[in-house]
Amino acid sequence: MTENDFNRRDFLKVLGWGGTAVALSGCGNTSIEDGKETVTSYVTLPSYVIPSISNYFNSTCAQCEAGCNIMGRVREGRVLKAEGNPNSPINRGRMCGLGLSGVQAHYNPDRVRQPLLKGEAITWDKALGVIADKLNGVKGAEVAFLTGNMSGHVQALLGNYMDELGSKNHFSYEAISPAVLRAANKKAYGVSMPRYRIDKARVVVSFGADFLGAWVSPVHFSQQYAQFRKGSRPEGRGVLVQIEPKMTLTGANADRWIGVRPGSEGVLALGIINALGKAGLAIPADVAAASKAYTPERVSGETDVTVEQIEKLAALLKERTPSLVLTGSAAEGYAHGSQNAAAIALLNRVLGNIGKTVEASASVPFPQIAPTVGNRASLVSLNDGLAAGKYKVVFSYGVNPVFSAPAALKFKDNYAKADFKVAFAQYLDETAQAADLVLPLESAMEDWATVVPEYMAAPEGAGSAGYAQMSFRQPLMDKLYPDTRGIGDILLALLKQRKADKYKEFDDFYAYLRSAVLKNKVALGGKATDDDDVFWDETLSKGFVPMKGIAGAVSAKASASDLRLPSATADQEYPLRLIPAVSASMRDGRNANEPWLQESPDPLTTIVWDSWVEINPKTAAKLGIVEGDIVEVTSRSGTIRTQAYLFPGIHPDAVSVPVGYGHEAMGRYAKGVGANVFAMLDAVFDKETGELALNETGVKISKTGQRVVIVKEEGPVGGSQAGKKKIAVQVAADKVDLSKEV
Amino acid sequence: MGKDIREDIAWAQINKDVLKSLESPRKLYWVILLVAIAMVGVAVGCEIYQYNVGLGVGNFDNPNVWGLYIATFIFWIGMSHSGTLLSAILHLMHADWRKPIYRFAEAMTTFSLMTAGLFVMVHLGRLWQVYYALPYPSERWVWPNFQSPLLWDAMAIFTYLSSSVLFLYIGSIPDLAICRDNIHQGWRKKLYSILALGWEGTDRQWRNFRITYLTVACFLIPLAVSVHSIVASDFAMSQQPGWHVTSFPPYFVAGALYSGCAAIITLFIILRYVFRFEEYMTLPILKKTVRLTFAIAMVWTYLNCIEFAATWYSHDEAAKAVLIEKATGRFAPFFWGMIFCGSVVPFALMVKKWQTSIPVMFAVSLLLNLGMWLERWMIVAPTFSHGYYPWTWDEHMWPSMVQWGIVFGSFGWFTLLFMVFCKVVPSVSMYEVKEMVYHRSLAKKKEEQAVKEELAAKGAN
Amino acid sequence: MSVSNLLENWSKFRHTHPVDDKGHPDWEAYPSDIKWAMSIDLDACTGCNACSVACYAENNLPVVGKEKYSHGQAMHWMRIERYWDESAGVGEFDADKGARFLPMMCQQCEAAPCETVCPVGATNHTEDGLNSQIYNRCIGSRYCSANCPYKVRYFNWYNYPEQEKVWPEPLNQQLNPDLTVRTKGVMEKCTFCKQRTYTARNNAKTEGRPVQDSDVQTACQEACPVGAITFGNLFNPESQVAKQWKSQQVELTKEVQDKDEKEGNRLRGYRILEELRPYPSVMYLERVRESAV
Repeated sequence: MTENDFNRRDFLKVLGWGGTAVALSGCGNTSIEDGKETVTSYVTLPSYVIPSISNYFNSTCAQCEAGCNIMGRVREGRVLKAEGNPNSPINRGRMCGLGLSGVQAHYNPDRVRQPLLKGEAITWDKALGVIADKLNGVKGAEVAFLTGNMSGHVQALLGNYMDELGSKNHFSYEAISPAVLRAANKKAYGVSMPRYRIDKARVVVSFGADFLGAWVSPVHFSQQYAQFRKGSRPEGRGVLVQIEPKMTLTGANADRWIGVRPGSEGVLALGIINALGKAGLAIPADVAAASKAYTPERVSGETDVTVEQIEKLAALLKERTPSLVLTGSAAEGYAHGSQNAAAIALLNRVLGNIGKTVEASASVPFPQIAPTVGNRASLVSLNDGLAAGKYKVVFSYGVNPVFSAPAALKFKDNYAKADFKVAFAQYLDETAQAADLVLPLESAMEDWATVVPEYMAAPEGAGSAGYAQMSFRQPLMDKLYPDTRGIGDILLALLKQRKADKYKEFDDFYAYLRSAVLKNKVALGGKATDDDDVFWDETLSKGFVPMKGIAGAVSAKASASDLRLPSATADQEYPLRLIPAVSASMRDGRNANEPWLQESPDPLTTIVWDSWVEINPKTAAKLGIVEGDIVEVTSRSGTIRTQAYLFPGIHPDAVSVPVGYGHEAMGRYAKGVGANVFAMLDAVFDKETGELALNETGVKISKTGQRVVIVKEEGPVGGSQAGKKKIAVQVAADKVDLSKEV
Repeated sequence: MGKDIREDIAWAQINKDVLKSLESPRKLYWVILLVAIAMVGVAVGCEIYQYNVGLGVGNFDNPNVWGLYIATFIFWIGMSHSGTLLSAILHLMHADWRKPIYRFAEAMTTFSLMTAGLFVMVHLGRLWQVYYALPYPSERWVWPNFQSPLLWDAMAIFTYLSSSVLFLYIGSIPDLAICRDNIHQGWRKKLYSILALGWEGTDRQWRNFRITYLTVACFLIPLAVSVHSIVASDFAMSQQPGWHVTSFPPYFVAGALYSGCAAIITLFIILRYVFRFEEYMTLPILKKTVRLTFAIAMVWTYLNCIEFAATWYSHDEAAKAVLIEKATGRFAPFFWGMIFCGSVVPFALMVKKWQTSIPVMFAVSLLLNLGMWLERWMIVAPTFSHGYYPWTWDEHMWPSMVQWGIVFGSFGWFTLLFMVFCKVVPSVSMYEVKEMVYHRSLAKKKEEQAVKEELAAKGAN
Repeated sequence: MSVSNLLENWSKFRHTHPVDDKGHPDWEAYPSDIKWAMSIDLDACTGCNACSVACYAENNLPVVGKEKYSHGQAMHWMRIERYWDESAGVGEFDADKGARFLPMMCQQCEAAPCETVCPVGATNHTEDGLNSQIYNRCIGSRYCSANCPYKVRYFNWYNYPEQEKVWPEPLNQQLNPDLTVRTKGVMEKCTFCKQRTYTARNNAKTEGRPVQDSDVQTACQEACPVGAITFGNLFNPESQVAKQWKSQQVELTKEVQDKDEKEGNRLRGYRILEELRPYPSVMYLERVRESAV
């Protein structure tokens, strides 16, 4: 044997030290002793856990309704990071900042850890007992269950529970949801949420659809957008035109951002149709009749978009087909929102996009797990019921209406009228604080669920027409707090209270879920002969299963007959239009307690840790406002104080305040940060759908005399490159040949 | 104009006068000492806070990572230069008027270097790891980075400090012996006995002393020039706009001599008063110092103009932008303050009547020093806040009270060291004054002799 | 060790610098067959911030909070810059063509200004072409940041993990054990996800093959919803990043690119502040905007 001075003893020593180093660094800033209950013993590990090697478990993101498929990176029993599942047709391995922050929802220091009855910690047995008590003698019609978007087996259980209670009062509420769009789509195309093919379009004209930021399924649309922008695509590099009064992230990425007068989007759509007709495009007779009056000159006057711009846009749309016209929240948030959406949908019909870039989506074969999508109208009806004293017991799960309902609805007062309010909550947010009983939920990285997304992205290739999928959410680690429970488990326990026999075979929600999935093996892509365990394990390791959906069909039945587009009227007292902005990270504020999101600058203003009001520099000059002035934004329904930010990407008649800030509760990172713009919205509703119209609030702005230095990422020169030529360079599309780029 | 040193002053009188300064200064001395201690207290408090919490409390940010500490560091380094100028350069040039004042100037060198050294420490993010910057032998072959100007800096300062201390000490040996011989029993006696190294004043000792003193003086002069050139390299060797300037080394040296001379005037006036040195620190000496200062001020102004012109006419747009930013932006008051104090105020030194006016010169010298501190700040800060990359431009970051507190306290620290030194070691060189008086009286005698001879010759005619 | 050792082995103490005295990179002297590089397509980038959050998640970056953010002490290794169109004049912002987003992180320069100035040699050039930052060696002189033209180095002004408690229990359990949590007084910056490239290199070495694109993704690249970021080994001609650099005629070793451009075919690749000759390893592709509308 050769000389080897590195003997066995030294080797073990090195190993020992290496192990210690790993353990020390792994614990972050706790000592081993401090964290002994969370450090996994290296002696009794499952066979697949190799210290220092990560395992990846597929799951589903719960941060927004898009339902991206994720992989949790798990090491030594702790989930560290969410990464995208590369096989997913939704996000194709990619993530957004909001999704990445899911781990901070899980590890959040401000989670509720025990059931709380009027603020006092109690046991689960007692909590469930109290619910049984309170439900005793209450009629089904007197029970209301408020949730956000729901789908999958949790929804199935909820449906069963509501049936057992004999209640039909399941309200599905989302403060930010494309509800008007759904209705308009249903009318125009026959499906409420068709598949949009941005990747196939040569031109995308988006009326305020922030599909890269916060609209419907942003990570999926970002995938499509990446394709759309590729010069090497057969269709060439796509052109994006964004029409909206306040620039969104998508608007910031547009080739042309058109700052239209708030509310006149429908008028502009008809104006473009009119211009298309003039440019020689064949327009169906009914549409031509409807758009006849909308000459470019008139439209220009009403929308503040130049005639030249309208004609250019029409010429582009005529020349480059197929195109895709999208309707987003900016266009639908008015009393005439449905009309706007209908007028915009006409453009797709006129341009022949329906069937090409607006495709049919498949619906889910099992109606009980199909998504129930939330809207704002349901909150209004719940609120009316509460005000009338109709509901004695109110459950709420996954929503925070006390925070997000306009003050004009007086939701908080009405909510208090219910005898007994139960909130299933991860945080003690405003609604949970107003509830009598708070039941602590497991995080989305601890519980079991299945998710069926509303926007059903499909993989490329044949069979995509009938593609639907069900995603699995599985625990990525042991739960942090023993006294938290998954919503499925709670619902199961509540069901057992009513009908113990029927559910006695299921120890927990996991058992229920597994049996429900295995029962439908064949429909979920398996064979009847597959071994149950093998099928189950494979399904979980994939993270989602395809379902044979019922392929729908889109129809070009968008009707132009009953369009009523009001002209803008000037409001003397409240001259500015308030546009509540939905940012990609803050959304409706439910994730406000995740510090990464608070510290992640707003992409457009680069502001962090506060809310702000965006004012066009021209308007600001008129009002004598400079950046950092603390201003009062006053509507008929309320007032907020916040800092002014001069923003070139907003129509001079509009101001914009981001939603999601201004929590009075919830946790250390959210509480007291910014102002809550929801509270000051006027209660104006879309005439057709009854949706609360988000953009219909008129405001006035006054200075308070205070001034602050805005906390933001950009420096004193703002977005200027100070004359330097080679920092963020832009080139005109006709100067480059993108077709051969690698 | 006051009288110069009397040629007929007795050597014993010199000993008596100077030694008195070690015993009973005016009350103002104690006031100054107390104020200095209070100022040091402020700085120490700030530093403890900063050390415990982190440098963030000083209001640093990206890009303003350096703040006041480095600026003040350069200021103190600069101040050290005139000690060497007076004691070594003028020594070689046989300018005898330097003799009553070089000792305290040399002490000023030492203590301002020590103060500067502290700023290196205060500046570091991990003070407790400062020894990483030393080239100590390590079994892992880890050396500091010899390419870094900051390392050159550390070495230059260390060399300069040790040489200055040596020079100061060697020059004091004969006087320490006088102290030893004239002071009554006590700890001082013991101290002087040790420090005087058995000096007897023999011919052999004097001969060796002269050679040693001259050698160290010669050694010190290139060091003095190099040390501030190297400090200038911290900036000139970097790539940043406003720093990457070829003329920085001479510019820094000129600035250093300038602030040093201004500080000498200030300290001259203070010492003259508190230690009752009116006999020795005479107004003609002040006048000479003032004239020297004026000359250096003009050199500095000239180099300043060169720097601005070079920037203005170059194609370095970024450097030009920094210059414009300095002159018009947030720093404008300080920039123009520096120009005023550094280039306009010195013209007051030209006025003959003011050259020997104690109050005027005191005020002017303070203004000059203020100007020189501003100069250092104006070199460091605007480049940070207005670098190559516009996104990170940030003129709004303002040093916090912690930074100001430490800078403020450093003046107390310097004063404390300096004042204690003057109380312990004779701040006027007794033996050199004796030499001076002797040579002058010889010269006078010679003159008288010449006059006599002339008269005699005339008479012979 | 001895001074003679220092003198004899001087070149080893400083890593072999790829740029020789004449200012040209000397690939012969490059000690490995890997040179990590990146390209970022600004036409694809939407400025959504996902990369930045992914970086927080991957690299244990502290959330500093509003007050410290207001002091410019944010620790985002990857920051998204938002510029406006200034065709009307410098400082006159025009939103008609949207905003321009630019993800900016350490450019991993080949002749990095930060490396030469560090007094203790805490920032070095690695053999796979990165600027390493040795946290343990850093004494916090911040000279590297002072000399960085891009200002992409971030200093720990506070003791974030312990005194500032930026990871209150149980948030600290999210920390990535593959790399450290930095304490106060040290400089940090983007490492091109060193922990990932290191693993990829080792795995490839174990399997006896060169590193491929499929071996490693940086956290930002992995997250990017539009795939704007490409990362890989520039020395491997098969890697996507090498192909992009080649097709854009951007050469790592030049400070002025002489491109063979034709009318109507401008090549989009460029490097920021290349004229300062730091030889950055990140190539950006110009944002394209349609002028027909």
